[in-house]
Amino acid sequence: MLFHTPQFFAFFLVVLVLFYTLPRPARRWILLAASYFFYMCWNQKFVLLIIALTAIDYTAAMSMRRLPAGPKRKAALVMSLAANLGFLGFFKYYNFLAGNLAWVLARPFDAFALQIILPMGISFHTFQSMSYVIDVYRGEQEVITNVVDYALYIAFFPQLVAGPIVRARHFFADLYHWRAADAREILRGALLVVFGLLKKLAIADQFARLADAFFRDPAAHAGYLAAWSGVIAFSIQIFFDFSGYTDMAIGLAQILGFHFPENFRRPYLARSITEFWRRWHISLSTWLRDYLYIPLGGNRHGRWQTYRNLLLTMLLGGLWHGASWNFVIWGGYHGGLLSLERLLGVRERQRWSLVDPLRVALTFALASISWVFFRAATLHDSLYILGRLFSGPHGHILWWHWQLWFVLAALVLAILEESRGWFERLPEAPAWVYASAIAVCLFCLELIGFSGRAVPFVYFQF
Amino acid sequence: MALVTRRFSVPARLGLALLLFFSLDALAFRTGWYVSILEPDSTAGFLETYLKIEERRPIGRYRQVLAIGDSRMGLKSRVANLLTGNTGCAFGTISVPGTTPRCWYYMLREVDPDCDRYDAILVPLDSYDDRTWEDQADRELDINYLAPLLRVADLPRFVLSYPSWPNRAHAAEAVLLKGLIYQHDFQAFLEHPRTRLEAARLQEEHAQEWYYNAVWERHSLAGMSVDWNAKTVALPAWLSPEKRSEIEHVLLDPPAPVSALFKRFRRQWLGAILDRYRGSRTRFIFLRLPRGPVVRPDAPPPDPSSMARTFAAEGRIVLLPEHTFDSLERPELFGDALHVNEEGGYQFSMMLAGEVGRWLASAPEGR
Repeated sequence: MLFHTPQFFAFFLVVLVLFYTLPRPARRWILLAASYFFYMCWNQKFVLLIIALTAIDYTAAMSMRRLPAGPKRKAALVMSLAANLGFLGFFKYYNFLAGNLAWVLARPFDAFALQIILPMGISFHTFQSMSYVIDVYRGEQEVITNVVDYALYIAFFPQLVAGPIVRARHFFADLYHWRAADAREILRGALLVVFGLLKKLAIADQFARLADAFFRDPAAHAGYLAAWSGVIAFSIQIFFDFSGYTDMAIGLAQILGFHFPENFRRPYLARSITEFWRRWHISLSTWLRDYLYIPLGGNRHGRWQTYRNLLLTMLLGGLWHGASWNFVIWGGYHGGLLSLERLLGVRERQRWSLVDPLRVALTFALASISWVFFRAATLHDSLYILGRLFSGPHGHILWWHWQLWFVLAALVLAILEESRGWFERLPEAPAWVYASAIAVCLFCLELIGFSGRAVPFVYFQF
Repeated sequence: MALVTRRFSVPARLGLALLLFFSLDALAFRTGWYVSILEPDSTAGFLETYLKIEERRPIGRYRQVLAIGDSRMGLKSRVANLLTGNTGCAFGTISVPGTTPRCWYYMLREVDPDCDRYDAILVPLDSYDDRTWEDQADRELDINYLAPLLRVADLPRFVLSYPSWPNRAHAAEAVLLKGLIYQHDFQAFLEHPRTRLEAARLQEEHAQEWYYNAVWERHSLAGMSVDWNAKTVALPAWLSPEKRSEIEHVLLDPPAPVSALFKRFRRQWLGAILDRYRGSRTRFIFLRLPRGPVVRPDAPPPDPSSMARTFAAEGRIVLLPEHTFDSLERPELFGDALHVNEEGGYQFSMMLAGEVGRWLASAPEGR
């Protein structure tokens, strides 16, 4: 049941009506049941995995509550982390490690391979539960004693399969001081849902067709213009796909009275890779910062340690996305660029200067190059495409003119949002302005929303 | 959950948004603007062209006769109109390949909104029995054809005429959300806007002449023979392997069974057409088309309770004698197993024009 299908909207409508009409004590049960049902629509068996991890982390946190600081308390933390990383490692990385082991031992690539289905959203909910247990261990988060509340935190359907990764303190602040969404919040939530749908169906899925065609057979599209347009098509696809999903998740949660953090802040307007990571998948980058980079020492132990920490953090961030050398290289590439920018003293500035558009273009190009590793099927393909970006005849751009105009319109809206912040003002604008914005989005969806077979969100595979 | 506050009203804003959205949709797709630039070779564009030609055909002092039907209707109005001096009839046609009685209902509503344009409407049938292999009631193609013609008020009748839920949903889209139905066409337009506008202009200027003077298949199946016992067909050399296989399939497969579903479908839509014209001067003439280049020897017995015979028995239609066009069932008049060729079309049109002219001349005025 994908967010952009009629089935999901029927499901959400039922949940919404039950949620707001049933007595308050029943509401968290409704949300939990709905969340498990939502997950079971994808795979009935794997809901047991979520329940098992929930039980382990809940028990670990409860035992930490009773235990004083010391080895036993630490053991509870280690047990919880081992369970989360064990499940994640088995489902996500077993075949990667087995394949590499087979290569080292000169055995066939699939000599030790297993038929493993990756549980949807496992990378997100394990990171969410780990952050909770670590925060409890650090004393930064109160232990949640109600198991239903904790289970809901892990399984809450708007963010279950692809984030954003919500910190426990934010979620439980909403849950324990819950108040019904007011009219402004509902209008903002509805706007986010419509915008998210537009991003996903009208832009991401349109460019997915171009990117898929290019990456499926890059040799069939001669010339560097074709290569750049194919790669940029994927840059556009992944941003609009993931941020479209996130917008919908935030909007749906807001209508239910929950407030998720911002996950994207116009990342392609970043003037450096450092700034890019402050704007892209913010809930993951802050998670990596708080639970990996800072514990590794952050920037507190000199220049070289900082570079090492950045590189390690991004390498693991790359591996979080997927088990292949392509993702390792992708992470390493970003870690390398972050270190390089630190070495060069690239600073984030509030004010824009005349050269900033050039910086934005350069950052976008660097980010797009990294997406080659993210999207290409193999390392060989990635290297081939990289070679094609900088050599050969010019060839042809793969896009249609109207797609270019559509993206330029999105860019103008992003620049206006950056400078004027129109989005947050829209729910409060006169009714005809708000209604016109929704109507135009729906009309664009009707005309250019991809209406073929529903294309899954890119980040669902993680 | 406060849906209405002093500053905001959620229902009002979302309601206004929906109203504006449907207004945009209507402005683009219900005013005729977009239909005028539809891809001429698309199903909807093709049907629109036929209807436009018929709507623009001048009505003279002659009796007006319109042919409906699908690709098997062999009437060439250019040929039939050669006999206008003798028959007193002017012929037009909106026979569009792949259409069904459901399409004919909406097409007739479009070209004859007041039911007063025609003296006779010709309804061709493959067979007076309700025989088919296909469930026409669930034919998705009808939705693509009819998208430009459907109005909001058609929602219940059109949607419920589809038995399957996916097609009902698709049919509802065609009625309510035109943009969704035209989506592929619109995106193709955005890809090559100039080419499309030029194609639409050429179609607008020349379609009448192109369609009126169109030349059908010049080749014939002359020389073909069928050994019904051995179930083999000898065919002329000019046919492609695909055509040969198609002809063998049509000729040698057992005859389609009488279908209760098809009978119901015909009763629903042909009945609706007849109901619409009840009390008008328009007569409906049902005719059986030439069956094919050869006729199988084991033709099944006629079904006396078929829809066409029932309508005739009720006095609602004129049923031309079943064997009127048997003389045209010859290989030299067919281009494949189902369709008459250029010569077959010529002879069929002459014969049909004569029959219709004679019948109208002898029929009492009005009804």
